[in-house]
Formats: sequence, C-alpha cells, structure tokens
Amino acid sequence: MSKPNKTIQEKITELTQLTEWFDSEEFALESALDMYKKAEALAEDIEKDLTALKNDINVVKQRFDSES
Amino acid sequence: MEKLRLSVSDFVAVTNQTLEYAYPSVEIEGEVASFKVNQDKYVFFDLKDSTASVGCFMTVWQLRVPIEDGMKVIVVATPKLTQWGKFSLTIKSIRPSGEGALKKSFELLKHKLDHEGLFAPERKRALPAVPQHIAVISSTQAAGYADFIKILNDRWGGMQVDVAHVQVQGADAPDQIIRALAYFNSREILPQVVVIIRGGGSADDLSAFNDEPLVRAIAASRIPTLVGVGHEIDESLADLAADVRASTPSNAAQILVPDRGEIIRAVRYQIKSLIPRVEGALQQQSFEVRSILERALGRLDDAVDSRAEQVRSIRSVLAQLNPGLILARGYALIRGQAAVGEIIEIETDKSIMKAEVKYVETK
Repeated sequence: MSKPNKTIQEKITELTQLTEWFDSEEFALESALDMYKKAEALAEDIEKDLTALKNDINVVKQRFDSES
Repeated sequence: MEKLRLSVSDFVAVTNQTLEYAYPSVEIEGEVASFKVNQDKYVFFDLKDSTASVGCFMTVWQLRVPIEDGMKVIVVATPKLTQWGKFSLTIKSIRPSGEGALKKSFELLKHKLDHEGLFAPERKRALPAVPQHIAVISSTQAAGYADFIKILNDRWGGMQVDVAHVQVQGADAPDQIIRALAYFNSREILPQVVVIIRGGGSADDLSAFNDEPLVRAIAASRIPTLVGVGHEIDESLADLAADVRASTPSNAAQILVPDRGEIIRAVRYQIKSLIPRVEGALQQQSFEVRSILERALGRLDDAVDSRAEQVRSIRSVLAQLNPGLILARGYALIRGQAAVGEIIEIETDKSIMKAEVKYVETK
C-alpha cells in the first residue's frame, strides 16, 4: 500500500509501474493476484484523492485601482 | 461694481482657474489631424470635426496606443490657455473610437511589437503540467471569471489560487492589470502561472487588452502567462504576448489543469486491462501443463503397448509347446515302463487307454 503522504502524481507513477510488471519478464502467476490487489487498492486511493481535492481560492486584499 | 484690472499673466491664470473649475476633466470625440511628436517627448495634434478644431498636447508616455492622422479618437482632457494666449487641450488619455480606428490602432501596434520580437515563438515558456499555485487577474464579478473558476474546480483541485480583482474594461483597466501583474511578480513565493481572463465583449470593451504598456508588462512577466480574453474569434495583443493563449476563459481552465474525470477513467481502464493479462497467463500455464501431461501419457501408452507385445510373443511360444496340440495332430502320449508284460497308459486326443507290452526292441 502506498504511503499516505505521497502525491497523486507519485501514486499514478507507482500504479503505472505496477501495471508494467504484468507485461515484464518478472511476471509470475504466483505473485499476480497480490500485485493485482495492490494495483486495485492504489487505483481506488487515487480516485478517492482526486475526488476529494479542493482548490483554495483567495482574493487578495491588495487594491489595484490606484498606485499604492 | 469696481472694474477688475489684471495683468496678462493674471488673466491667463484666472482664465485657467475658471476653466479648471468648469471643466476639470472633459471627454471629447473627434478626428486627429496634424499629429506630430517633438523631441521624442511631446505630442501635438488637432482634434477636429466638420466645423471646429482645437489644438491638443500630451507627452509621449501618455500615448498608450498608436495614433495617426484621420483616426477617430476619444480624449479625456483639461482645457487650458497657454501663456502665449493659445487655447489647447491637455490630454490625460486618448483611445481610438469606432471599429475602424480601433482596428487601425491594433494593426499599427501589432506591427510595432511584432517587429520588436514580443510575439516571437522562441520567447514562449511552457506552463507546468499540473500547477499547485496559480494567480488569476480578472474581475471577480465577471461571467468569464465565474466560468473559469467553475471549470477549474470541476477539472482539478488542491491548488492555491490567488485572485487579483481588477477592472477588465475601460480606461483604468490596463493600469490595474499592470499593477496586479507587478504585485504577483514581486511575491516572495511566485505563483507558477498567472492567468489573465475576461469574457466576451465589444471591440471597445476588449481594447484594454491592446494597451501597449499592458502588452509589454505581460511579455516581461517573470511568471509564465496564460491569457484568455473574449470569444474564440477575438484576438488581442495581450493574447499574442502571453506564453500561452486561450480562446476563452473556460478554455484557459482547460489548458491550465488536467481533467480529474479523465484520469479516473484512465486509472480504471489500467486496472481493467490487467484482468485479461492474468487470464492470458493462466491459459498459457494451463496449456503448458496439459502438454506435459499429454506427453507423459503418450510415453506411458507406448510402454504398455511394448509390454503387451512382449506378453503376446511369449504366449505364442508357449502355445507352440502345448502337448494337447500334438495329440490333436494324431499323436499319442504313452506313460509306463517299456518292458514286456508291463501295463502302459496311452493318451490320444480323444481317449485314454490301458495296454499290455508284448514286445520291446531297442532301436
């Protein structure tokens, strides 16, 4: 399972590496189920993170209608 | 009433005071004639219509858009009587008026700035793929700003969005946008992108984005710029000077951030695509195991066949040695002693008999 402080981009990279394993020479049927579960959990994690992201919108107090 | 006697200087001063009181600032529309720039500092021209003409004065630094003879303009000015007794307008601001003048002014400035290389493709910087801190310069009351924020929030999150509220049309708009740009460019932690947006409007509404100092400020920004002004068909010089041009405020949001919905779909597809891969590997393994078993079974069959052949051969040999077969061919089997008077047993294929030996001769 990925660390909680990873960014979404890092998680996506990790997921890509996990899925690439299935096409690599390291692929072994014995490990495939574990790797699949890991990838599936990571995908759910990414989806949850993406859905929960909110922007912090802040209108600056500085006024621009005259030289300050 | 006592007659007022003034010196010429006082008269000019009093007249100017009266004018200033009556017309602190007046907006006049007219056509430019006899336009000239002296010493690269002072601008003189006449503002006229079909029946009247008035001289105008301003400095080069106040000239924010190119002006030439025949152009229809709107000036904001203060009337003044000079010390030589000449009446003139001291221009505070000047802008082209009407579609023809706006277009002419746009083309003149575009040519000038293009010649300086402000729009050159090699000056353009790439925007970060997924920014975390952005600055937005717009009017927070404008529909274009609302569209931008809606699409931005729909597509992506987790960003710090600093918004500078400014006017996006009218005479004050260019300076406000320039100040907002300067503000963001002077921050200790710079935003990764500054986005300047404004929705659609008339050519006059959008003319603020063809202001020379503003276009230069966009080109000089330390922070990469994304400009989305007007509708798709509108082109402003601010667009051309920006690192990236968006056709509308909504398009600016689309350019700026990825779509989380698309990423979620791609991630789901990645996971779904693993199942056929595992199934394929399982089928391959199963095929290999079956092949091995079939080969082993084949070898077992061969061994059984070989042993059966051996047994058949032995049985054939044994059959040849069976005494019953000899009896069947008409021979007899005799048991007992070959001595005269002895009783012997004779076995044929069909019967067993007893007989007495009458004669014995050695061969």
